[in-house]
Amino acid sequence: MKIYINNREYDMPQDISILEAVKKANIKIPTLCYVEGMEPYGGCRLCVVEVEGSKTLVPSCAVKISEGMKIKTHSEKVRKVRRTIMQLIVASHGISCELNCLTCPKATSCELKTIAEEIGVTKINILPVEKMLPTDFSSYSIVREPTKCIVCGRCIRACSNIQSVNIFTFANRGPNTIVTTFMNEGMGNVDCTNCGQCVMNCPTGALHEVYHIDGVWNAINDPEKVVVVQTAPAVRVALGEPFGMEPGTISTGKMVAALRLLGFDKVFDTNFTADLTIVEEGTEFIHRFKEGGKLPLFTSCSPGWIKFIEHNYPEFLPHLSTAKSPQQMFGAVAKHYYAKKLGVPKENLVVVSIMPCTAKKYEMNRPELVGDVDYVLTTRELAKMIKESGIDFKNLPDEKYDDPFGITTGAAAIFGTSGGVMEAALRTAYEILTGKELEKLDFVGVRGLNKVKEAEVEINGKKIKVAVVNTLGAARKLLEKMRNGEVEYHFVEFMACPGGCIGGGGQPIPTTEEVLIKRMEAIYEIDYDSKLRKSHENPAVKKLYEEFLKEPHSEIAHHLLHTHYVARN
Amino acid sequence: MLEEKIFLKNDLDKSMDNYEFIGLKKSLGMNSENIVKKITDSGLRGRGGAGFPTGKKWEFALAQESDVKFLICNADEGEPGTFKDRFLLENMPFKVLEGIIIAAYAVKANFGYIYIRGEYSKAIEIFEKTIKDAYHMGLLGKNILGSNFNFELKLIKGAGAYVCGDETSLINSIEGKRGFSRIKPPYPVQRGLYDKPTIVNNVETLATVAEIMKYDDNVYAKLGTEKSRGTKLVSISGDVKLPDVYEIEFGSGTIKDIVELAGGERGELNFVVPGGLATSVLKSDELDVLYTYEDLEEAGSSVGSGGMIVVSKEHDLVDILLNVSDFFVKETCGTCFPCREGNRNIKEILLKLKRKGYKEEYKKTIGELKEAILLAARCGFGQSSVNFIYSVLDKFFHEEVI
Repeated sequence: MKIYINNREYDMPQDISILEAVKKANIKIPTLCYVEGMEPYGGCRLCVVEVEGSKTLVPSCAVKISEGMKIKTHSEKVRKVRRTIMQLIVASHGISCELNCLTCPKATSCELKTIAEEIGVTKINILPVEKMLPTDFSSYSIVREPTKCIVCGRCIRACSNIQSVNIFTFANRGPNTIVTTFMNEGMGNVDCTNCGQCVMNCPTGALHEVYHIDGVWNAINDPEKVVVVQTAPAVRVALGEPFGMEPGTISTGKMVAALRLLGFDKVFDTNFTADLTIVEEGTEFIHRFKEGGKLPLFTSCSPGWIKFIEHNYPEFLPHLSTAKSPQQMFGAVAKHYYAKKLGVPKENLVVVSIMPCTAKKYEMNRPELVGDVDYVLTTRELAKMIKESGIDFKNLPDEKYDDPFGITTGAAAIFGTSGGVMEAALRTAYEILTGKELEKLDFVGVRGLNKVKEAEVEINGKKIKVAVVNTLGAARKLLEKMRNGEVEYHFVEFMACPGGCIGGGGQPIPTTEEVLIKRMEAIYEIDYDSKLRKSHENPAVKKLYEEFLKEPHSEIAHHLLHTHYVARN
Repeated sequence: MLEEKIFLKNDLDKSMDNYEFIGLKKSLGMNSENIVKKITDSGLRGRGGAGFPTGKKWEFALAQESDVKFLICNADEGEPGTFKDRFLLENMPFKVLEGIIIAAYAVKANFGYIYIRGEYSKAIEIFEKTIKDAYHMGLLGKNILGSNFNFELKLIKGAGAYVCGDETSLINSIEGKRGFSRIKPPYPVQRGLYDKPTIVNNVETLATVAEIMKYDDNVYAKLGTEKSRGTKLVSISGDVKLPDVYEIEFGSGTIKDIVELAGGERGELNFVVPGGLATSVLKSDELDVLYTYEDLEEAGSSVGSGGMIVVSKEHDLVDILLNVSDFFVKETCGTCFPCREGNRNIKEILLKLKRKGYKEEYKKTIGELKEAILLAARCGFGQSSVNFIYSVLDKFFHEEVI
């Protein structure tokens, strides 16, 4: 289709929006309420362009191109209108001495700042608006500061369209319009899963995690305490980003070095307990499979997913694996085994975890699990601490994890991406069930960013049907199908966030699809490069069973490594 | 002196038994294409304010292929100073009903709603009875008047939001959602109520349709001027001696003549708002404009919804501005940034003007805001929300005189 952008002729595919066409022509139109992959909303009006024949300006996100269309993306008229709108947005953003950009959690990833610069707003002729709305501290995971909210509705749409959780809504009318939770109850008192996709989508600092940074500093500075840290698989492929490194840069060694420099006494890997999870969960699957237990078995390592099923599908709770998540398993093993080994009283061993996830902050506070882990830092918080300490992350020489919880496998590494838990579990289940060595380790069918992936594996002549789901919206759809008897599986992996933990709510912002792909590729690279690629072959895990846990699903393993769930409907 | 041209108001309804539904009966004997053509030929433009050609809208609607189509009568009249739809709903409900059924038949819609402003309690009561009687008399339901046309009509009471007069907000409201406008495109005619093609027509438009269909020849098209055909109901209020609803033939007189028709001004006339608060004002020395779409547009204003307000010099201009601004700030839905924040800021500036007196920079800033809102707001509400305020500032406020 022939169109004209800024007096130049272009040949464009049919059925795309003006915004998409202009992007193909390598011109950038500023957007604020628009989110790729979601239906256009048309609230911010920053993306308006001039189209010949139209009296008013046209929202480029919503209007499709047509044959011969003449578009002007940055005419005088358009630039003037954009500048005025941007001034209005900045004025409504509650900037004052108390609330300035210097102290904002999104200081380095603020879209308002970026767009204001792109548009060329250099002064604000409009009085700032004082909204005087209280901050919502009710959640263990996420803080909401409505004063900084510009009411673009991106959190509402992420929560509804991607996650189907729907905890946010607009309230009031006109300039009093605010984003709030049901009956203004606060995020901690509604059906929030703490997944943090709202934080990832918020263009301002109105949404951020509950900071554990101060608590961690205090623990490090307390001479009585032995502070150990564990790092989740998806952190190592994203932590470089806040330091200007390419998304998907594997920075495991630098991360370990940085953690030591921060003052942690021991630096361990959550991957170790990911392997342990596979052994426990794999054994559980084999039990259920052989002895006719409840199938399909659902994975249980994503705390956002756990809270989702507890609120929405409690009848499916018996399907959940009782295995604790790797984070909590690590906490339990550290407190009950490692502390003894060190000769340190349990109370003086502080367990900190570095997670790509905001829901992990809620998970550590669950009554069933409380006490295993003391602090959870998101990838973003860790980056802040490293910056605060003046550590030149990019140029750090690589260091290795401490023993014994630093020995891990490629199977554990892929926990960081959607499909990884399933693939790791299959590697183990296959070998245990058949007694044979698996020739081809890669289960490619469960990889990639599709929201639902299915695969079939033949074990001992029996076909095992598995599914891998990421995002809660896709989880809801699959559970509805399961409820109606439309699908049958033996084993299903669920992850709350897009792409799994690589797209977790605690990861660096922005996390676009492009970024997700790069992080995912890096995760698989770690797996390929690992000497050990099957969880049950992890020698440190084997040793832990010999010395302490005895065997998978032993009484002590049950006591320390398994949990139960709560119906919350 | 200008005389009221009676076309639409020719017979006030007494009872449904006496009302003959001639237009409807004739329509049911015609096919859709011919009805749409007749309406197109009549030159009728939508009477809600935007003035979109009715026949063209129906053509689009008819061309949509869908198992279900909806017809909505927009009776959410809320523009300050506009009360002509209320006059029709209360005095001529059968004609409105007749127009609704004709429109539905013409665009092949089998389900319809009349969405009446919640504050119009009398109109609601009357129309509820009208619908009930109509079902009883076979005017609604299955096989209307023995034809093979089926049409169900339901009344919806608005909950009191001016923006629900915008057709996409109105559709959201019927669906039980917040009265927020929807992003366009898609237009309601493509994807409207419950994602089905939906035609939204104003009360006056539909009543006029009933009257146009009554005649074999197109008498309507012969009224008015070439570009502004027919007549228009004008509701006049403010500082006139006989505020009421008058039917004016387009081009038959000037704004000044219409004010005279309404008994002339009370006090010394200052300005006239020709079409409701979404239109720009005309000063007392600018009233020789002929009442047509084209002449008013040339004078920088608009026919709008026909809510003419006459304002004398005894009122304080700043108070009027604040009053109007307050209305738009309260009624903006809050979805799109230029309208929500722009109107809020205009009010702030006007409050400053009230406290500190006029400064030229206020007009400049409001002018910039007006430009952004007018060109970039998401719906008709926003796009017209600054016309009145800016025109008053522009025409009456200058640093040297104040």
